[in-house]
Amino acid sequence: MSAHVLQARDVAIHYGGVKALDGVDLTLEKGQIHGLIGPNGAGKSTVIDAITGRRPLTRGEVTLDGEDVSHLGAVARRMRGLSRSFQRTSIFGGMGVRKQVELASYKMGVKDSGADADAVLEELDLRRLADMEAEDLGYGEQRRLDLALALVGRPKVLMLDEPMAGLSVQESHDLAHHLKTLTSRWSVSVLLVEHDMDVVFGISDVITVFELGRVIAHGAPATVRADPRVRKAYLGSAA
Amino acid sequence: MTLTRMSLNALLAVVAAGVILWLTTSNSLLGMFTQAVIYAIFALGVGVLLKQNGLVSFGHALYFGAAGYSVAVILQLGWMPAEWAILVTLVGIGSASFLVGLVIVRVPGIAFGMLTLAIGQMAYLLAVRARGMTGGSDGMSIQWPNTLFGVSQSTLLKPSVLFFVSWVVLVLVTCVLVQVMRTRFGAITEAIRDNEERARFIGIRTAVPRAAVYALSAVVAGVAGLMSALNTGFVSPENLHWSVSAITLLMVVVGGVKSLAGPIIGAIVYFLFKDLLGEHATHSMAIFGAALIAVIVFSPDGLIGAFQRLFKRKKVHP
Repeated sequence: MSAHVLQARDVAIHYGGVKALDGVDLTLEKGQIHGLIGPNGAGKSTVIDAITGRRPLTRGEVTLDGEDVSHLGAVARRMRGLSRSFQRTSIFGGMGVRKQVELASYKMGVKDSGADADAVLEELDLRRLADMEAEDLGYGEQRRLDLALALVGRPKVLMLDEPMAGLSVQESHDLAHHLKTLTSRWSVSVLLVEHDMDVVFGISDVITVFELGRVIAHGAPATVRADPRVRKAYLGSAA
Repeated sequence: MTLTRMSLNALLAVVAAGVILWLTTSNSLLGMFTQAVIYAIFALGVGVLLKQNGLVSFGHALYFGAAGYSVAVILQLGWMPAEWAILVTLVGIGSASFLVGLVIVRVPGIAFGMLTLAIGQMAYLLAVRARGMTGGSDGMSIQWPNTLFGVSQSTLLKPSVLFFVSWVVLVLVTCVLVQVMRTRFGAITEAIRDNEERARFIGIRTAVPRAAVYALSAVVAGVAGLMSALNTGFVSPENLHWSVSAITLLMVVVGGVKSLAGPIIGAIVYFLFKDLLGEHATHSMAIFGAALIAVIVFSPDGLIGAFQRLFKRKKVHP
């Protein structure tokens, strides 16, 4: 059996004549952090949308643990363990912090959803804010709550779309550290879209670089950093 | 709020009805109170849709009027006893609105409102045109039996009894809605209302719960329609008209949508306001419209929001 927990083959999403993604191949190993980088509009977030079922595929196939999930909707893919956070914080503003995390856990079919919610809140240092309404949280706390909603039910794959956006340097550093430890302790694989290059190159096991909906480089951080195409397309000569 | 506390509040509400009856000697005033309570039930139906689904309906008069027509037609044709007709009407409204809801709740925002308006007006025109069955524009009388649920009609139609029954129904409907919102279903609908996309990505299928809230709100509007049919013994296409939906929506907005008390307060304020205007009541919509503007500008969360803020401020600065 393959060690790939997630595999995308020849994935394409076209909007009329615009090729947002075109023939993308991607694999994610168990417990791996896989960074996706590229300029704005390169197709990084669209890859997450394609894998999670938010956008229908024009072509290609997505498999999770060897099962083809391409034909499934977003809810069914989430139930199978494909989870995500969003570029813009996506939480339930009018609902209590614990209430929404517990609800998410319940919907994931976790038997003791209360305990699962508490464990996730503890992990992301949100337990002390459990009774607050989400809209009253600070921005950094809301980002962590977004992550908490994605983490309940112990997903197999966690796809994070710019989780550090808008966070302070310290908050970014803490979250990056969290992600690194989470992958081993919670046996979760991470697909990470992020513009903070220090974070991506610091915690990723492997990196894929996108440009205009296509993969232009792939490999270990050091290899990618040294690739002249990447330097030209994205990182610039100073990198 | 625990179940015990809610039961206590319900009991207090019923006692309050007794106090109102004791203090009110005028039958016309009691009639106005009864109408206010019936519209409070109707407004609860419209309000629960807005509160739990975040959807504005301009066509809930469809269910208000359809309840009256359904009972009127069943009793006229003698298909079944009135008690069964009431039950069948509510089940029918619940089932039909759930199916309608499955289609229309997928449509967001103003387009949803326009769809409800279109469906409601279709029913209005149908009632006007189907003269043979509905009496057309003239409406139709409802042939209530001599006894309903073991109570004689002469007793039931006394202004004080009608008011008390309507009040008890309002309390019961409120208790049921409060309980429903406390369940897992309530939390799911809140999540969908707040962020439908995120709801899908925590494993919630969103169409069925939204349709269920739509059906629940339609049934509550249907209950109000039945109470109105009992109160007036008559139903006409006017009960289905969009303006009835609009007035009820107005009550909800003025009262406030964030809690169930809002629509109830909105309905009561509307009728008290109309009564206070006396001979100027023909201009009530213009004056109530101005009040609506004032509420939206100064307290977007309605009168209940203003009360809550006032209460909080008093607590902070005694």
